[in-house]
Amino acid sequence: MALTDIEYQALEDIVGPENISREPAILDTYDQCWGHKAVFDQKFSTRPAAVLLPGSSEECQAIVKACNRYRILFKPFSSGFEIVAFALANERGILLDLKRMDRILEIDVENMHAVVEPYVNIYRLQREAMKHGLVMGSIGAGPSGGVIAGSCCHFGGGTTMVSTGGLGRSVLGVEWVLPTGDVLSMGTAESEMGWFTADGPGPSLRGVLRGRSGSNGGSGIITKASVKLYPWYGPPDIKFTAAPGVPPSGKRISEVPPNYKAMIIMFPSQSAMFEALINIGKAEIASALMGALVFPYGEGNDEQWAVIQQMAAAGISFTQVASQGVALILGSDTQRGLEYKEKCLMEIAGQMGGGPVPIPPSDQAGLFAAAMLHFGFVTAAFRRTGDFFVSPTSDGSPDFMLNLRKNAEQMLKPYMEKGLFQQLGIPEMFVMPGENNSIGFHEENVSFYDPWDPDSLDALRDMVHKSEDPNGQFRSYGVPHLGGGLQIEWVSHVHQNFGPIYDNYDKWMRSIKGMLDPNGVGDWSAYIPAIFP
Amino acid sequence: MALKDFEHDMQRCSRCSYCKWIPFENQQNMDFIKGCPSAARYNFHAYAASGKWNMSYAFLNERIDHSDAFQDAVYRCMMDGCCDVSCKTVQDIEPLQLMYELRKKFVEDGQILPEHMLTIDGLKKEDNMMQGKKVDRGKWAKGIKVKDLTKEKAKVAFHAGCRYSYDEELWPIVRGALQILIDAGVDVGIWGKDEVCCGGRAESMGFAGELTKYADHTLEALKAAGVETLVNPCSDCYQCYKVEYDKIGKKPPVEVLHITEYLHRLIQDGTIKLTKQVPLTVTYHDPCHLGRLAEPWVHWEGKEVKVMGQMICHEPPKQFRRGARGVYDIPREVIKSIPGVRLVEMYRNRESAWCCGAGGGVKDAYPEFANWTAGERIREAKAVGAKALVSACGWCRRNFMDAMEDGAARIEVYDIIELVQKAM
Amino acid sequence: MEKSDLVKIVGSNNVLDSPSILEEYACDMSFVPRVRPMCVVRPGNAEQVQSIVRWANETGTPLVPVSSGPPHFRGDTVPRMGGSVIVDLSHMKKIVRIDTRNRVAMVEPGVTFSELQPELEKVGLSAYMPLCPRGSKSVVGSMLEREPITMPAHHWDSTDPFLCAELIYGTGDAMRTGEAAGPETTEEQWKIGKSQMTPFGLSQMDENKIISGAQGTIGIITWATMKCRMASKFSRILMIPSENITPLFNLSYQVLRTRQCDHCFILNDLNLASLLARDPGEIKALRDVLPPWVLVVSFEGNGYLPEDKVAWQEADFRDIVAHTGDLSADDTIPGATAEDLSRMLSRPSDEPYWKLRYKGGCSDIFFLTTLRKTAEFVAAMAGMAQSRRFVPSDIGVYIQPVVQGTGCHCEFDLFYNPGNAAETERVKWLVTEGAASLANMGAFFSRPYGAWAKVAYGRAVETATMQRKLKKIFDPKDVLNPGQLCF
Repeated sequence: MALTDIEYQALEDIVGPENISREPAILDTYDQCWGHKAVFDQKFSTRPAAVLLPGSSEECQAIVKACNRYRILFKPFSSGFEIVAFALANERGILLDLKRMDRILEIDVENMHAVVEPYVNIYRLQREAMKHGLVMGSIGAGPSGGVIAGSCCHFGGGTTMVSTGGLGRSVLGVEWVLPTGDVLSMGTAESEMGWFTADGPGPSLRGVLRGRSGSNGGSGIITKASVKLYPWYGPPDIKFTAAPGVPPSGKRISEVPPNYKAMIIMFPSQSAMFEALINIGKAEIASALMGALVFPYGEGNDEQWAVIQQMAAAGISFTQVASQGVALILGSDTQRGLEYKEKCLMEIAGQMGGGPVPIPPSDQAGLFAAAMLHFGFVTAAFRRTGDFFVSPTSDGSPDFMLNLRKNAEQMLKPYMEKGLFQQLGIPEMFVMPGENNSIGFHEENVSFYDPWDPDSLDALRDMVHKSEDPNGQFRSYGVPHLGGGLQIEWVSHVHQNFGPIYDNYDKWMRSIKGMLDPNGVGDWSAYIPAIFP
Repeated sequence: MALKDFEHDMQRCSRCSYCKWIPFENQQNMDFIKGCPSAARYNFHAYAASGKWNMSYAFLNERIDHSDAFQDAVYRCMMDGCCDVSCKTVQDIEPLQLMYELRKKFVEDGQILPEHMLTIDGLKKEDNMMQGKKVDRGKWAKGIKVKDLTKEKAKVAFHAGCRYSYDEELWPIVRGALQILIDAGVDVGIWGKDEVCCGGRAESMGFAGELTKYADHTLEALKAAGVETLVNPCSDCYQCYKVEYDKIGKKPPVEVLHITEYLHRLIQDGTIKLTKQVPLTVTYHDPCHLGRLAEPWVHWEGKEVKVMGQMICHEPPKQFRRGARGVYDIPREVIKSIPGVRLVEMYRNRESAWCCGAGGGVKDAYPEFANWTAGERIREAKAVGAKALVSACGWCRRNFMDAMEDGAARIEVYDIIELVQKAM
Repeated sequence: MEKSDLVKIVGSNNVLDSPSILEEYACDMSFVPRVRPMCVVRPGNAEQVQSIVRWANETGTPLVPVSSGPPHFRGDTVPRMGGSVIVDLSHMKKIVRIDTRNRVAMVEPGVTFSELQPELEKVGLSAYMPLCPRGSKSVVGSMLEREPITMPAHHWDSTDPFLCAELIYGTGDAMRTGEAAGPETTEEQWKIGKSQMTPFGLSQMDENKIISGAQGTIGIITWATMKCRMASKFSRILMIPSENITPLFNLSYQVLRTRQCDHCFILNDLNLASLLARDPGEIKALRDVLPPWVLVVSFEGNGYLPEDKVAWQEADFRDIVAHTGDLSADDTIPGATAEDLSRMLSRPSDEPYWKLRYKGGCSDIFFLTTLRKTAEFVAAMAGMAQSRRFVPSDIGVYIQPVVQGTGCHCEFDLFYNPGNAAETERVKWLVTEGAASLANMGAFFSRPYGAWAKVAYGRAVETATMQRKLKKIFDPKDVLNPGQLCF
């Protein structure tokens, strides 16, 4: 049921006619995103009743109040680059495109945090912060992902987690338009004392904002956020260059900045590699690190395939690097520090029977951009086969994550062997120690499938059924990461399924949702409803 | 091709939004990172390339029909291809070619903007995009002693283009260019009043038939005149002859050059000597049609195949045009060879250049948008400390001037030809 | 009477109501009003805690959780209403598990730093400690209250070093947080490699954050895991003296940015003297010798290549110090040596607790701000003290950067003689009204004990509103420490 003219007019009166639309042609540009084919069996999620572009927190508030009055679902997003960004529980829902709210409000260099609006993307903040010797902890969504989206609202880890933490731990403040239309600013922001802590007075309301995953737009609108910044040892400006005729994706930083080193260390086994990750974390030497597939990307898939074939002909297996290699970046303000970190790394590597893989300088620069700034991740996710899915994924103690990896490999391999997922020789994995391994590992097992190939799609669904089966072999590895997103698609009801086996967390989440949103207007399809329908 | 042929690409758009920005690898100053004028100016996602993928797919699936909103998003686009370059840093899909197909579909379905209708009517009647009279086309060359290609043969054909032919204010530039060639002893001729449009701008508006028509005519005319080299002072025409004709299988059997390429040769071999000082700090605006759009067309016929189980490749391998193989260095070398000139680069240059605003029928239908886009470019030129903005296309030149008339910040604007003249 | 219900839960030995014992819990060293509890109950495990909470819900009895031993300073362990029952967890003293591989310790709430630290040292680990905690201080209590540790580079989040917990909410429901949740028992989890070390809220809420800083009003912890660090084979401690506090800021900011120091904090002469000396005479004498301000940094020789590590960190640090032009870094300064500090930093306070050595009593004011702003607060505090005829030189100052230098814990320790009524009144004014003045200047009372709650929540109306709603979810009958915070 669409909006009535009165309801539409009420919303138009808030944002102005140029910032609202209910034209089907416009609306259908807000219901298509990656992953949809798997989730909705078509590229389209529910068509919104209208899309609005608010320009301020005040407009957001007014919109939300109108939604409460008229009982209209709403859901905000910034870049909209997340599988559940547009999912609406029904057609009587509106989407809020926060594109107009795009200011970097403050970079407090001394106290190392930045305050931004929702449409500021990660790379833009990175480049501004770099001028001051700082960067933010980014996520695998890459440069175009939203700072607020990644920090506050969604799930996602990144290669810098070893030195920047992740999954919400860098949030130092938010301004939050609640689903009631009230505004909550957390911590020092509410007390107008700056943006340096979100906690208190008393209990930290960051606990309501997000957990391992965010609420995916289901708990209101974050209109400002303060994020912690971390040291950047490179130059204030970076430049990518290439020989004439090379397209932008082939450009590289001319060299790894002098105060960094980029390397790949190979180990004789995956267990040795995991062990090394533990010790590298303990040694507190890495700026970015992942046990990961290091894949030659090339200008396009055909070029990529050519390189892979050349590698195969030369007897080089990138899959070995994938399962037994660690890509990492060391950084320090001084050469002394860098030398120590490298010496330390070599000692750890040697203890585990590993050693560095020689990489040409241009590849080192590529690795640096990938590991520090997540260049290449979008290519990896979408160009190869059309889509990707992360499952099983978990955050936990290293040995537990190694167990997960072993089980995940076994589970995923048959799909790969049958050609239903991209055959990499081994399932792709991202594993990152968090906070120098003081909080365990973040692990993602990634499958690359073609959603438009019925067999590949069926395989993906089959795999997710297995990996997210509350009675299956992965039930111990945590609540599936998309949160309530799976309320509305083929796997039934994550919270209902996992709540009872995870200490009834769903009971509390539902109560929180009911508290935040008594009229149930914050779209819950990727979060949780107050009462399960 | 048909819209259906792009279905696979439509499905593939992941909504990464790279199409809204210049490639991240190319971003320098964070105040100048937007790449798509439409997405920058108009807020809905529909105005970005991804939005066009989405709308096309919805249209194909009969979820939407033609509408003002659909038309507005499709036509408020300069067809500049910046989105295409950015998208292809992470994907193997063709946003710009979709736009051509989409506009073609719009025209087939009668969804034509009245302003475009006017322009195309003029084209059909008078063979130009300026709503001028055919008989007046050659007036720009009045008084210049040059071969008439309708009567004589010449090795080099100088094609003025519609903009230069009818925009009197720009005549000194096109006259100057021709005169340089004549004085250099080049065996050059023009078609004068019998010169016709290349058809490129019409194609970009969706009128594919006009492209074919003028391609056929041009090939005949080139043959009849015994031309070996076709030289263009206008980037639009250059790109059309070099790329668009090739795309439809009508590649001219002659060397197609932009005037800067020809001047470069003459400077390099010493025929032209640039001796006078031109003390000026300039920045060079890469015209879309000389830069990223001028990357040679790649013909490919084959099929999609899957390797490694599900990785999408092509048989034979398909080389995608990703914008880096346009003409970027030659104009810069020409500028740098002018004594006294200091060249500073804008933040968005080469394959990431911000469009001047004139292309894709936008100047015809949405002049305010065209002017705004040019104004943004002027802002960027001033931000890098340039005193003058130099381009290599009549449409760019005109649009910068119009923008300043409309209130944009003021800056000196030149074509490379003018600078060369100053130095001779 | 309800006491018999409690006896059935914990046994008669663990239900105490003698007047002398009740008096111990009726007040503390803060200035909150004295309220005698009804009784004290000492559970021994989570099941008993759960039963107690359920009982409290049935009978409408307020519970006040206490995990540290006395003396208490903050007022959060003093009942706010009559008829309260103290839930004294200080006898739950199991160090449940020390995982050296993952540097994680699991402890019950009664475990103190005095008890934990030696056990950790035996296996090559060390606790992240606040500054010289008292021997009876509960490790869990300290973490849950977001007490800052002395190593800001290791303080990634305000809740560090807290990781996961088992807790009983005010409803009587049990929950394990973060990685600790799941279908297995805790022991079964260990067998599959889980060390309860990943603190992220297990789905789309973060239960750890909600119970942090809550002063026992949301839930009662029955065990918690915490990050530990590798014990230092040696420690290189340097002191940077200064006549004024401001010159120390630039230096501090530089090393905070690169996280190359381990310990990093600033003390004034009185606090450093109180930490190092044993009695008032010694303290006074030492204070007269010490520089007015000292930045203390350390480089811990632990992990891989500890000598190399300390060497480069120290060398880098000395280069930074040299650039200041007017500061110096030494392992010995008038009145203090690195060895003194190393001893002080490696363990909880000897008896008497260092804050009580100078005058027998101490009341703190502490809040969060940013490092550079602390100078303003130092000046303001001195001015306020003077105006109330409290001697400014009797105020200890402790500046502790937190969360990797993004914020700063600013603490004023007002030493006074509790037997001197006038002095006590002055201190009381300063820590209540004075705190309000500091809040007006931007002091953020993130841990709003006692009178600070009104000050803090007066500026955080929406936060209070939401916290009250959360309280209704996790403790609808308001049995957990009612009257604290904004409840």
